[in-house]
Amino acid sequence: MKNYPIWKSFTVISLVLLGIIFAIPSIIYDENSKNWFLKNKINLGLDLQGGSYLLLEVQLDVLYKEELDNFVDSVRLIARDQAVKFKKIDIQESEVVVLFNNKEKINDIRDSFFQMYRGVTLQINNNKLIIKLNDEYRKIIQDSAIKQSLEIVRKRIDESGTKEPLIQRSGKKRILLQLPGVKDPERIKDLLGKTAKLTFHIVDTENTSALQNNLAPFGKIIVPDMYDENTKYLLDKRAVVGGENLVDAKGSFDQTEGHAVSFRFDTEGAQKFGKVTTNNIGKNLAVVLDGVVITAPRISSAITGGSGIITGNFNAQEASDLAVLLRAGALPAPLEIVEERSVGAGLGADSIAAGQIAAIIGMVLVCVFMILIYGTFGALANVSLIVNLFIIISLLGIIGATLTLPGIAGIVLTIGMAVDANVLIFERIKEESLKQTKVFQIVKNGFDRAMSTILDANITTLIAAILLFAFGSGPIRGFSITLSLGVLASMFTALMLTNFLVYMYLSFANKKELKL
Amino acid sequence: MFGLNKIIPVEPNINFLGLRRNFLIFSILAILISIGLLSIKGLNLGIDFKGGTLIEVSTKNTSIGELREILSSSYSDLSLQEFGNENIILIRLQNKSNQESIETVNSVKNLIQDKVVEFRRSEFVGPTISSELLFRGFQAVSFALIAILIYIWLRFEWQFGFGAVVALTHDVLFTLGLLSILNVEFSLATIAAILTIAGYSINDTVVIFDRVRENLRKYKKLELVDLFNLSVNNTLSRTIMTSLTTLLALVSLFIFGGEVIRPFALTMIIGVIIGTYSSVFIAVPTLLIFKFRPQDEDD
Repeated sequence: MKNYPIWKSFTVISLVLLGIIFAIPSIIYDENSKNWFLKNKINLGLDLQGGSYLLLEVQLDVLYKEELDNFVDSVRLIARDQAVKFKKIDIQESEVVVLFNNKEKINDIRDSFFQMYRGVTLQINNNKLIIKLNDEYRKIIQDSAIKQSLEIVRKRIDESGTKEPLIQRSGKKRILLQLPGVKDPERIKDLLGKTAKLTFHIVDTENTSALQNNLAPFGKIIVPDMYDENTKYLLDKRAVVGGENLVDAKGSFDQTEGHAVSFRFDTEGAQKFGKVTTNNIGKNLAVVLDGVVITAPRISSAITGGSGIITGNFNAQEASDLAVLLRAGALPAPLEIVEERSVGAGLGADSIAAGQIAAIIGMVLVCVFMILIYGTFGALANVSLIVNLFIIISLLGIIGATLTLPGIAGIVLTIGMAVDANVLIFERIKEESLKQTKVFQIVKNGFDRAMSTILDANITTLIAAILLFAFGSGPIRGFSITLSLGVLASMFTALMLTNFLVYMYLSFANKKELKL
Repeated sequence: MFGLNKIIPVEPNINFLGLRRNFLIFSILAILISIGLLSIKGLNLGIDFKGGTLIEVSTKNTSIGELREILSSSYSDLSLQEFGNENIILIRLQNKSNQESIETVNSVKNLIQDKVVEFRRSEFVGPTISSELLFRGFQAVSFALIAILIYIWLRFEWQFGFGAVVALTHDVLFTLGLLSILNVEFSLATIAAILTIAGYSINDTVVIFDRVRENLRKYKKLELVDLFNLSVNNTLSRTIMTSLTTLLALVSLFIFGGEVIRPFALTMIIGVIIGTYSSVFIAVPTLLIFKFRPQDEDD
């Protein structure tokens, strides 16, 4: 057993070299390197490099409610067409309930309604017609809303100039955002907090009693002013043209009006806009954004060029943000921020520095301790420990894992736990040395006997780490990754590298007896 | 070679199991007190599990009292705390709804803007998320315990699995009890620490059990108590060595790793000590309940 197999030496040495070489990109850490090799570096998590993590929830209830509102309007229209009167119509939780005077025409209404909307459940109960959204129908609304929201969010974030954002769907109705290096998440939150639904409506100035009673007749809506809640407008419910027809919007500055947003319609929008402005000269046209009137200027002449400006009491930032929102388009439903974690670059840098110090001091303490206890063997185990650290760093870089603060904690913990396999082996060698005198036989038995224990012990730790990965979230996953890699690397370094080093040491030192 | 390990005899002969009754009573008391504390005092839940807003700021020449004064006029459910040093202050607020959060963070920032050098971090966890995170944390811990049990069961006889799970449950409850007394913040990282403790404690137990199994085959005639004692003694220096190196690394993390990671390091330190204790004094004695050698009894 004195002759260590050459192929084994070769494998150990090359794996160790690879482990060290591939740690180089992460240690140099050139952020903008284009070099294929230097690109294999660890990604720093948001908690270390600074940035914002946002979890947004699409407010689907708003969409369901909107759909129910549409049902109400449709029922009214159908009833009017068929000259049927009903007592009452209202929305109760997730259904529309229509109460008729008598049963006669209910079936007709139901059939006509069913022609318009598939995927709804219609129930007749005496004089009542109940309209419900099916689960499938809800699912269609949900999926298209998330898809659309993702797209709009992506456009808005891109427009805001954030570098390398990560935007993805999370679960049924959420969108996850990771914005590295974002210093001011408030602005991003403002951008995402608005639905940005832009519509143009003709103002009804004749029906003054409606405004006084605060009760909109059918086909009209009452909308407050953006700057003064007490100023209200009575508008046609139907928008003449909307934000979906915009092709461009820019913040602009006008000598007389101040900061404004100039916009341009596509062909269809331009036509609609031209027609409406031609037919309604003298009336007012309200620009409505997310349920408030920004401005409602008088149409003094037909606007057929398909472009215009929106003026309000904007400052430069507000005007350019509104332009961003209009260019990106409207969200199908409002987004609610359900979780936010933002870390400044200062704290991130502090965390990295503290983590490095903790790792180095932990390493030194463990190494000194190992030498005190095991002497030369301890020094050999320390070589394994250091290589172990390099291998963890290499693997993190190669798989493109993200290093987080808990991830650093995982590495420091691994430093303490990785020597365990070595300790198990040395303790076995110690026992074996009492039983016999042949040096290489002692070492061989020591390694062989420790093997199954090492496997059992490490697999249980791996189980815990893997489950943590499966159920954990965000930074905690970083911990389970470094811990798992550390455990795997420690098995390799103990069973192969320490083994190799011990054999080399015993061969070269030409030891005749072994006392650990 | 100048190994200091000669301090620990190779074949120590300490009668660990002789003391098992005392330690059993100690552990049962500790567990009962822990359960009592957890149900009465509870854990110091961080915003991960309670929901709310947390803002960490670094200030210049501003005392914590000044900041409190500025903020307390606008917010009632407010707590401020120095974090590491007197220039870094942690502000916690309890939010009622998701919508409030955005305004809260913004308005807090506006109120104290001129007193603050840097906004180091801001976190907001909404009520739906915090309850989800708590649920997932529970899920992770329970599944880990079950998976470890299954593994031990497959690798060893089921009696060992029982012993391991008793020790593990002991460790988790005992650690949680201490976290409650010490008022350590319970966060997502704590869940990670608890799971790692589970892995570590099992690791320790498995090493001893491995030896018990080996000795059961080797010494067919030895009394069980003596055999268990022998096994614990055989593995004693390894148990101590590994715990010490792990503790060295953790203490370094606790002292130098920064304020954010400190509760995690503290939880791990507590857990490693308890886990080591339970492997020797709880897991092994539990095996005495079972008769491993029915044929011996018949003789």
